[in-house]
Order: sequence, then C-alpha cells, then structure tokens
Amino acid sequence: MKRRSFLKGTLATGATVVAVNAGLLTPTTVLADWNKKAFGSKTTEDALSNFFGSSTTTASSDIKLKAPSIAENGAVTPITVDATAISGVESIAILGSKNPMPLVCEYSFAPAALGFVSTRIKLGQTMNVVAIVKADGKLLKAEQEVKVTIGGCGG
Amino acid sequence: MSIKIRMRGKSKAGVAEVKALIKHPMESGLRMDKKTGKPYPAKFIETVEIAVNGETAVNAQWSGAVSANPYVSVKVKANSGDEVSIAVIDNTGSKGSSTLKLK
Repeated sequence: MKRRSFLKGTLATGATVVAVNAGLLTPTTVLADWNKKAFGSKTTEDALSNFFGSSTTTASSDIKLKAPSIAENGAVTPITVDATAISGVESIAILGSKNPMPLVCEYSFAPAALGFVSTRIKLGQTMNVVAIVKADGKLLKAEQEVKVTIGGCGG
Repeated sequence: MSIKIRMRGKSKAGVAEVKALIKHPMESGLRMDKKTGKPYPAKFIETVEIAVNGETAVNAQWSGAVSANPYVSVKVKANSGDEVSIAVIDNTGSKGSSTLKLK
C-alpha cells in the first residue's frame, strides 16, 4: 500500500512539473522575469539579499560612480556607473538608499557587453546613491551622496 | 500603443556606446493625485533588453524610480555594420522596440 501511494504521489508531482514548465515556456521567454520581491523591498539590505542572495558588499575604488553632488531636480538625476576596470562583471545595480523602494534598476551583462551603464533616476530627497557591481560572484560597492533640492517623488 | 524609442550608437575600435531615449511616463504608483488623494496607477518599464545581431548583450530590470522618458546608455562589443536592437516591456504589457545599424 505504501509503495503504491508513493508511486502515485511522484507521478502526480511529475505531471504538474511538466505542466508548469510547458506553461512557462510559452508566453515570454525572451525577457527575464521581473524581480518583484527585490524591487518591493524597503531597505537597501533587503533589496540586495532578495536580488543577489547576499547583502555583504566590499567597497571598491575600481567602480567609477558619477553622480552630481547637488541635484537641482531629484526627478532627473544622471548617474553613470563605469566598472570597465573590473573583469568579469556580471551585473550592475543602482540603489537610492532613502527612496521608498531603494532598488532603482539592475543591468545584467552577457559577454558581449562591457560593465558600463549611464541612466537617469529619481531621488526623493538627499541620500546616498549606491552602485553595486557583481563580478566573479562578489558584490562590490561604491557610494556617493547626492544633495537633492527638489524631490523627485510626489512633487 | 507601442512605446517609442530613439536610438543612437557608433562603433569605435570594436566597442560601441549605444544610447537610447524611451518615451514613457514611468509612473511609480506612489505619486498622489492631489485632487482625489489617490495614487496615480503605476506604469513603468520593467524589462529592457539590448541585443547585438540578435544575441542578448544586456538585460535590465527597472523600477518606477527610473526617470520619466528614460535615457539609457550601455557599451557593447560591436563593429560598424552590426545591428543593435532594444526591446522594452512595461508593467501593463505595453511593448516597444527599435533597431539600429551601427556606423
């Protein structure tokens, strides 16, 4: 009896796994799934551990984080992260430490791309902009304070 | 309605800096409408994919904290004549894409 129910159980789970796989493969396989948990995190640490599985970071001077020291309009803050000096860059994440949800954006790179990103982000108030670079499985960090005179969220 | 994207890029010694300007409100879902006291519904780009000759080079995930009408610039290994494309999808399912032949 035990053996029979065991077999039944494995068969059932096997079938569901196949069904789930088939379902997932059909709609959008091109773009990666959006990480809802990490983007909804309320603190920098939570966002990092939800996204990368670890919040341990090492400060690195090889990351060139270019951000204005004073942003007149927090809704449009130009940020450039240049990690081309580091080899094996897998991804770059940009966070605003005091934003309601700190994780702003994350870029993952295939070998055909260099570790460089330039974009514009919203900052709600004066805060530290954090750039996290994942290279060879390690998380490297660079930080810079940006003074915001007009907030970007809420207006 | 598809999302409009303008692209520029130039290859120099095998490396191309690709710039894109995307027309999108990037509403985070947190901003309040002062008249009604209710938040504006979220509408922001969630995923961005940049490919060289059809092969993915950069995959990005964005939150609503990327500025409205986002500007993005990345560097990819590509020579002149290569085709660089960008594809975006927002949280409401709107899509947009653009392709550029590098100079």
